[in-house]
Amino acid sequence: MPFYENVFIARQDVSSAQVETLTETFANLVAEHGGKVTKREYWGLRNLAYRIKKNRKGHYVLLNLDAPPAAVHELERNMRINEDVLRYLTVHVEALEEGPSAMMQARSRGEERERERSRRFDRDGRDGAPAEAEGGEA
Amino acid sequence: MSDEIRGADRGDRGERGGRQQSRRPFFRRRKSCPFSGPHAPKIDYKDVKLLQRFVSERGKIVPSRISAVSTLKQRELAQAIKRARFLGLLPYSLR
Repeated sequence: MPFYENVFIARQDVSSAQVETLTETFANLVAEHGGKVTKREYWGLRNLAYRIKKNRKGHYVLLNLDAPPAAVHELERNMRINEDVLRYLTVHVEALEEGPSAMMQARSRGEERERERSRRFDRDGRDGAPAEAEGGEA
Repeated sequence: MSDEIRGADRGDRGERGGRQQSRRPFFRRRKSCPFSGPHAPKIDYKDVKLLQRFVSERGKIVPSRISAVSTLKQRELAQAIKRARFLGLLPYSLR
C-alpha cells in the first residue's frame, strides 16, 4: 500500500494529553480503513514561524502511514472537521523512514551536547587539569 | 608586459583561453553542489536546520546561481521549503 507522511498541528491551548488521545483516534481511524500507522512522533509544543489562526504555538505530530488512499482521504476529512487541528499536510513518499526524523535528531543532538558540556564541566573541577578531549566525537 | 597586468594566476582559467584581458574578470572558484556528493544530506521538509542554510535572512529562497545547487536539487529544495513554510516551520517573510 502507498506510504504517506502526515504532519498535523494542534492548537496550543490543548493539553498534550489531549493531543495524545487525538493521535490515538486518528490512528484507530486509519486502522479501521485498512491502513496502519508505522510510526508516531510528537515534536512537542513549538513556536510557529507566523500566527496560524491566531495561535503562536502548536503541538506538532508526525504520522507515518502505510494505508490505502481511502483511509488517508477519511483521515483528512476528519482533520478538516476537527477544530483542534490547525493545519495538516499529507505527503506521498517512496519509503517511510524508521529512525527518528530530522526534527527529533536535531533535538537529541542538542540535549547530548548539553550533557557533554555539563560532564566536561564537572570533570574539570575534580582533577583541575585542562580537559583534553578524549576521543571527543563531533 | 601582459603578465604583470594579469598578475598571479588564480586557479583554473583554462576555459577563458590565453586572450589578453585588460579588464580583470570577476573570478569565483567553481562551487560544487552540496547535495550531489557521495554522502550528501537528504532534502527533507522536516529538516529545518538544513533548509535554513538555503533561505536568505529575509526568508526568501536563495537562487541556485548563488547557492551553487544543481537544478534538480534546487527544485526539490524549493518544494521542501514551501512545505516547511506551510507547516509554520519556516517563515514566509521576515521583516
